[in-house]
Amino acid sequence: MLRKESQMVHKENIVQAIVLTDTFDDEFLPISEHLPHALLPVFNRPLIDYTLEFLSLGGIEETFLFSSAHVEAVKRYVNKCIENGEGWTLTMKVNVMVSESCRSFGDCLRDLDAKGVLRGEFVLLEPGTVSNVDLLPLLKKHNITTKSDKGCAMTLILQESAIRGIGRCPHEELLVATDSHSKLLFYKKLGSSKDNKLEFPLEIFLDNASVSLHHNLNDTHMAICSSSVLPLFSDNFDFQTKDDFVRGLLMNEEILGSTVYCHILKGNQFAGSITNWRMYQALSYELRNNWVHPLIPSTKRNRKLKNDVFIGEGTKISETAELNDAVLGDDVALGKNVRIEDSFVFSNTKIGDNVVITHSIIGEHCTIQSGSEITSGSILENGCVLEKDTFVKNSLLVAKIPDNYENGDKLADKAYRLRIFPDEDDNISINELDRKLSRLDIGDFNYESDEIEDAFSDSGDEQLSYTQTPPPDDTKLFYTEVIDSLTRGLEDKLPCDNLILEINSSRYAYNVILKEVNFNIVKAVLILSLRQPETTQYFGNLSRVLTYFAPVLKNYIRNESAMKDCLEAIQDVAVSSESLHEKCVTFILQYFYHKDYISEDAILNWFSTLTTSSKLYKQVKPFTDWLKEAEEESGEEESEQ
Amino acid sequence: MPDVENLLDIRRLISDIQHKKLVRSYDIALRTEELLEELISKGQWKSAKELMNLVKTRIQLVRENLPQEATAPNIMRHTLKVIREEYQSASKKKDEGQSLHELVTATPSNVLDYSDSLIDLRSSIVDHLTEYKVELESSSENIAAQALEHIHTNEIILTVGKSKTVEKFLKRAAKDRTFNVIVVEGAPLYDGHTMAASLAKSNIQTTVIADSAVFAMMSRVNKVIIGTHTVLANGGLRAASGIHAVALAAKHYSVPVMVLSHMYKFSPTYVGSPNHEAFNVCVSPAGVIPYATGPILKQIEVYNPVYDYVPPELVTLFISHQGGNSPSYVYRLLSELYHQDDYDL
Repeated sequence: MLRKESQMVHKENIVQAIVLTDTFDDEFLPISEHLPHALLPVFNRPLIDYTLEFLSLGGIEETFLFSSAHVEAVKRYVNKCIENGEGWTLTMKVNVMVSESCRSFGDCLRDLDAKGVLRGEFVLLEPGTVSNVDLLPLLKKHNITTKSDKGCAMTLILQESAIRGIGRCPHEELLVATDSHSKLLFYKKLGSSKDNKLEFPLEIFLDNASVSLHHNLNDTHMAICSSSVLPLFSDNFDFQTKDDFVRGLLMNEEILGSTVYCHILKGNQFAGSITNWRMYQALSYELRNNWVHPLIPSTKRNRKLKNDVFIGEGTKISETAELNDAVLGDDVALGKNVRIEDSFVFSNTKIGDNVVITHSIIGEHCTIQSGSEITSGSILENGCVLEKDTFVKNSLLVAKIPDNYENGDKLADKAYRLRIFPDEDDNISINELDRKLSRLDIGDFNYESDEIEDAFSDSGDEQLSYTQTPPPDDTKLFYTEVIDSLTRGLEDKLPCDNLILEINSSRYAYNVILKEVNFNIVKAVLILSLRQPETTQYFGNLSRVLTYFAPVLKNYIRNESAMKDCLEAIQDVAVSSESLHEKCVTFILQYFYHKDYISEDAILNWFSTLTTSSKLYKQVKPFTDWLKEAEEESGEEESEQ
Repeated sequence: MPDVENLLDIRRLISDIQHKKLVRSYDIALRTEELLEELISKGQWKSAKELMNLVKTRIQLVRENLPQEATAPNIMRHTLKVIREEYQSASKKKDEGQSLHELVTATPSNVLDYSDSLIDLRSSIVDHLTEYKVELESSSENIAAQALEHIHTNEIILTVGKSKTVEKFLKRAAKDRTFNVIVVEGAPLYDGHTMAASLAKSNIQTTVIADSAVFAMMSRVNKVIIGTHTVLANGGLRAASGIHAVALAAKHYSVPVMVLSHMYKFSPTYVGSPNHEAFNVCVSPAGVIPYATGPILKQIEVYNPVYDYVPPELVTLFISHQGGNSPSYVYRLLSELYHQDDYDL
């Protein structure tokens, strides 16, 4: 009885994982047409094999393979493994789940929610994940996090890497901001957006004492999920991908009440995901160089070959073959003087004499006759046959006539060019195709890195020039804002009280000190007022505008120091605008004096600071002389009294 | 495949080693012994020959899946010898011995084929194995018991990395003598740190040094005492990487190098070259150069080997539970442990 109970308890604590086997995109066309992503050969071993072995070594006890395309093939393979007693079958139960109706990652999770097979926390793997991480400590960490934060729905597992590192796909560049408890505050895939600019919501800096920004992370496409993840997907039908989910949770944190955390892999823990051909090549490289130890390529290395060449069983290589960084499958037949660089040739392919293959992927059972050349990211579907001396560059080849066949696509009886996105507008299709091909341009690391280097040096220049020009000053922004407000006010005849309110709010927004406020407002008023056509009624118009803004001026010029600011503004305007009407300054001063905006003393004090040789001095002199006279007169009058 | 079910026991063992549930060689040895006891007492076999085939397929499976693993195959190899001996004593027939005369005069009819089914063979092998198990269990205790013969007061002992056997050996000596221990940290695993912490807890004067400081320190050291992964047939070692350098430094200063080894670590295999595929294992380069280093990684190849081959001339003495032996005597120990025919399987 007791024993039974303990078994029950044990059963509840089974560590579960979900592996999705479909990418729901056409990254792997045309190979993916006939070969499920899960069975893509990586060093002559299906990709799913690595994933399952990793899960088993990582401590997972039950795995659900969720499959919606090529279901039979996946099922057959898994059953075969179980029959043969592969290593992982001992410690891990693998169930293949099928749902043909799913069209996206989100659909799959909604379907899983409906099926209700998962208990508690689980590990979620997107297709093609390969890793050597011990998952149990991560699950434990997630568990501890959920105890302190009940809303914690997901812990993303991210891999520390380097900018321009091998396993860093430009399309998956990630920018992440976390707080000190590695709670996710900001998450953006930079590769998917074309913008060079990035905006952080201000709150993340205001609300958190410390924020760390990471730009050196790879998405491993692994996540540890709480049981709340599946219902969240069910409740939000717009979540199509994991990125949608993370973004949605970050944006609506209050509404959904859920948070996302992240864990960063360092040291000899490694994880990566084959999401496109570029990552396929990167992960092949990493597997070969033991980064994912103890997961290593299955076949023993041929000691006669260089380290970067890998051949399957039954493949024979002649002395004349020149191989660099190549992976050949089982039973590949090579002719004489074949050159293969940075390429992958799958099993049972026949390659004739003098064939050159660079940066390309050749599917299974292809025949390439002598003298052909295949370069720059070409991909041949299983069963293609290339005639003699064919030249293929940067294209996808299929064996059967594609639906959107056009003239010129035919290379041979069993080789047709595949067009992607043929139905859309010309512009778009060109762009899309470019994008596609740049992704397919596997292996050309030098080329890629050059490109990236350019991008980087560009941004470097930008930064340099940026530091040379003074940073946009808040005061300046405030000034333009005030000008905008006043122009609008003048045109629409708005009441000046509203303008004052507007100016005050901009003042607080830009955090401008009072002195600057006064200075800029007077300057703005003057600049506006002086923008009059030079007609005979110039001064009449000028005084009318000034009268209109009188309440504004009155509001700001309240005391001695404000008057000083005001006079400085007049000086600034007078000096800066060359074409200013000669008498303008005197007129304005007179006007301000008469309206009692500025006092006599202020003017005289200000006048005494002017250099005697300046133009302004000469302009203002008559006025101040008059003022002095008037003062003396009034003084005399007073003394007379 | 019908074999899948039958080989479940050994596949479990392999899987447990792969899952790192069994890490120490001592644990692996015990598990293997238990597995064999189970196989012999409950397995489907009628004659000694069938049983030997069962064991041999298991050895092959381990060698295929874990080429670097030596303990489990050695235990099984020894069991083969036990089976042969028991068969001979039960059938009252004598195997052609080791002497040259007997080898030359042997006729085909004299050669044992182990195919007779004998009644009490099963129980006698199990008895023998139980004895062997006791021997295994007391092995590290017996090795530690010799500590006082080798460690004297105020000596400076140098050790590398972490080894349970060495730890026990030093702690036993520390009960009666005071001495200093220098622990080499053993990059990139740095397991010397835990070793030093454990020794310091037992009030042993312990100093941790970096691998690069070994040569400088060696002149002051009285003895180097290390553990090993495997002892090879020529008396060389497959030991943690870094030990070769330590042994060379010791040779330079004529410091004796003592290797503590259980009997199951003596393997009848030779090494072709230190780079031999099955000899060494390269783990993730992350310990040497972090993955975040950047694009340079594409242009370089990084090897992070786990083991070093230490040639026999650098080893002074092997200490097993039977006492001390020099490297040149290893061949004799091997012929005591395993039958000649089982060396190469």
